[in-house]
Amino acid sequence: MPQEKIANRQLFFILFMIRCNIAVAFLPVLTTADAYQDAWLSSIVQFFPAALLLLFFGGLGSRFPDLTLAQYSERLLGRWPGKVLTLAILWAFLHMAAVEVRIYADMLVTVFLPDTPLLFLITAMVIVAAAAAHSGIEVIGRAADLLFPIYLLMIVGSLLLPLPLLKVMFYNLEPVLARGFGPVFRGAVTPMAVIVQFLTLTMLIPSLNQPKRGLRTSLAALAGASTILIFIAVVTTAILGPSPGARALFPFFKMVRVVALSEFVERLEALSVFAWGLGLFIEVAAYLFCGARGLSQVFGLEDYRSLILPMAAIWITMGVHVSQNAFQLLTFFKPAFFAPYALALIVIPFTALWAAYLLRKFFRRRSGEL
Amino acid sequence: MLDWLKDRLGLSQRTASRNEEKDLSGFLREAAGEKFTGKLESDLKKIDAAGGSSYDISLRRFWAGNLPGALIYFEGLTDKRATEEIIRTLVIESKKIGVALKKGKGLETAREKLLTADELIEVDNVAGLFAELSRGGAAVFFDGSAGALICDTRKPKLRAISEPENETTLRGPRDGFIENLRVNTSLIRLRLPIPQLWMKKMTLGRLSNTEVVLIYIKGLAREKLIREVHSRLQQVDIDAILGSGYLEDYIVDSPNTLFPLTYRTERPDKVTAALLEGRAVVLVAGTPFALIVPTELNMLMQAPDDYFELFPIGVFIRLLRYAALIISLILPGVYVGIVTFHPELLPTPLFLRIISTREGVPFPVVAEMLILELIFEILREAGLRLPPAIGPAISIVGALILGDAAISAGLVSPGVVIVVALTAIAGFSTPSFALSTAIRLLRFIFTIAGATFGLFGVQFALLLTVIHLCSLRSFGVPYLSPFAPLILSDLKDSLITVWWWGMQARPKLIGGREPLRQPLGQKPQPGQDPEEDEGS
Repeated sequence: MPQEKIANRQLFFILFMIRCNIAVAFLPVLTTADAYQDAWLSSIVQFFPAALLLLFFGGLGSRFPDLTLAQYSERLLGRWPGKVLTLAILWAFLHMAAVEVRIYADMLVTVFLPDTPLLFLITAMVIVAAAAAHSGIEVIGRAADLLFPIYLLMIVGSLLLPLPLLKVMFYNLEPVLARGFGPVFRGAVTPMAVIVQFLTLTMLIPSLNQPKRGLRTSLAALAGASTILIFIAVVTTAILGPSPGARALFPFFKMVRVVALSEFVERLEALSVFAWGLGLFIEVAAYLFCGARGLSQVFGLEDYRSLILPMAAIWITMGVHVSQNAFQLLTFFKPAFFAPYALALIVIPFTALWAAYLLRKFFRRRSGEL
Repeated sequence: MLDWLKDRLGLSQRTASRNEEKDLSGFLREAAGEKFTGKLESDLKKIDAAGGSSYDISLRRFWAGNLPGALIYFEGLTDKRATEEIIRTLVIESKKIGVALKKGKGLETAREKLLTADELIEVDNVAGLFAELSRGGAAVFFDGSAGALICDTRKPKLRAISEPENETTLRGPRDGFIENLRVNTSLIRLRLPIPQLWMKKMTLGRLSNTEVVLIYIKGLAREKLIREVHSRLQQVDIDAILGSGYLEDYIVDSPNTLFPLTYRTERPDKVTAALLEGRAVVLVAGTPFALIVPTELNMLMQAPDDYFELFPIGVFIRLLRYAALIISLILPGVYVGIVTFHPELLPTPLFLRIISTREGVPFPVVAEMLILELIFEILREAGLRLPPAIGPAISIVGALILGDAAISAGLVSPGVVIVVALTAIAGFSTPSFALSTAIRLLRFIFTIAGATFGLFGVQFALLLTVIHLCSLRSFGVPYLSPFAPLILSDLKDSLITVWWWGMQARPKLIGGREPLRQPLGQKPQPGQDPEEDEGS
């Protein structure tokens, strides 16, 4: 069977939605720290460390364009250490996916379906993702192609709707930098750490049409999503006000909700929830695909598809039990906890990998092999 | 005479008893192996036995000079004048012009010097003979010649070429395919008078020997596609093909789908347009429906009129049609979901209105919706089966009595009736019947999903549909292209259309061999103003 390939454009769409969805979900620049009206500055600031981290862990992929993380880690570190390291990264996929599904389900239960058990919603979402992952990365890529324009249209639409109100609400963004740069940086910490989502790139690079350009594509996705993030931050802060916005559970959603253009055009939040759902679907399908594929390579299985069902089951359980309630989830994303956790997941494994890579290269050159 | 009769009776009795033990496959084997011997009487007996002295077999004996001969044909399939002409030539003209038919050389002489039919085929066995006779040939036998000469005497029974009822257009051509394969190929040939329009004939169906023609433009259609279609067609082994729908089931990429993976059309202009894009077309004898492969969803949403109308109107209509497709898919589900789970999403006056009309209705809204949808489907099916004269009756019963009485009796709420009606009308705007059928079925699933999880359920069903559509392929071409995978240059003929001079490229995945349709830069310019010329 020829290996399924996706275009770099499709990777861009997938990563864009993954990145953007966090902002749609709980807008970490605003809610996780005390940036308040300077949240939009945090959105700009977070791009740079996030891009550096991305270059750090994505750079290895460009050196092994035909291998996934699971494969080159074994090659670099040896069999068992490589497997252990891969498992740690796969854990990150599983955890992030469970958390994000959970946030979405929490929102639905809170706002739309108060009587529906959380389990059903999580199961439904995971089933869809599992179906997509089972169909393969090509199908996920095509679904991203199809859904991305709709997704973007709805997000941009949700941001444009409050424009008539924005002029009045602009004082909510003032004063700029009243408390110096400290809060701005604190607000940027969690968004920067959320780059842990982009670890999916390390599993997707060999599936790309142009693997060498994979890193560039993901940087573009990061930049694009950050741009959207700035706008979301500005509009949300302006409409909701800095401190109510920071206290809100789902700020973007709440912002769309308070907007009423006229007597008849109100309650447009269904659109933003739909966009969120579309993004989550792509995101979760990509996580599940990468997770199952990585796991199959760790265990040396031929086909990743047999792993999808058990993984989906584990995942549903995780989604239900990952936290008691939405507030606890938000605590998880507080910089003090999330940043060390995510950074550990990125920095430790990839420092080891880079060290191994450079040492090997060094010794090989010395022994004249290269 | 008596001896002959006795012999004949005895023989037929014997064959009858022998025939009773034989099954169809035995007959077929025997007929294929049964060669003609050259003895006229025994050959004719063989034919008679194989054909069971069927009512419509005509046997005409004659003497061409001293040589006994026979002419066999099927009554009704042949042109009376043509068969008479054959006998006249063999019996009378041969004497006039002094060509003698000798025993053992009868067929050769007749073929080379006498018969003028434009198609002369020689067959040497019973099976081949019947195949040719069924096509409207007449077989000439001569004593002493082992074989038969088939003259083309067919009398085509043709329905007039008329506008296809299922695919009407306002400004397009009005001709449609009919059941006759030759006429159908001629309709395409007339539109594309180039040698590169290749038509490959195959005979499929063990018993029906149906002629199937694979048409493509050599050098434009991808060779891989042609090979694939050809091999898939070759693999079909079935007793009879009575319509292109039979073949469709064999040649599609995936049987597990509601969506049509081939495009069926009765319109020659549509087929020609598909050929020009680099697609392949399968025509089947005996059916007016051509199959176009590969097919994408986008193609099913294109109606002929889009290309004949002015461009902005085409864009508007295309967008409208896609919107109608979405409406007919999700509207019942969304309505059920909103009324059941999220009434707060509606503006208050609208919500109150809906609730007040629902007062006293004994069913939950989802039951109402499903029942009404089902009734509508039944009405539609009944309308399809009824003779046209009683057609209006069903609409009176359906629309007036059922709809109106159900509302005034308080059994269903008007809102649901409106939604069902709107959905039905939106469904009718899909150009492809096959696609609208798929949507009709999916609609029930969406309604149930909406009733279970509200709008989230609709989204769930929608995502599953998207996954399914994304994983479909038609002869290797992704079903959702050019949307997914996104091919920007092909979007010119998808959600929108552009001017004809803007349609420069063929679809990339299909017509990539010869990407350009026309030279660039044909945008019309305003002509010179004659008066200005004079003035200057």
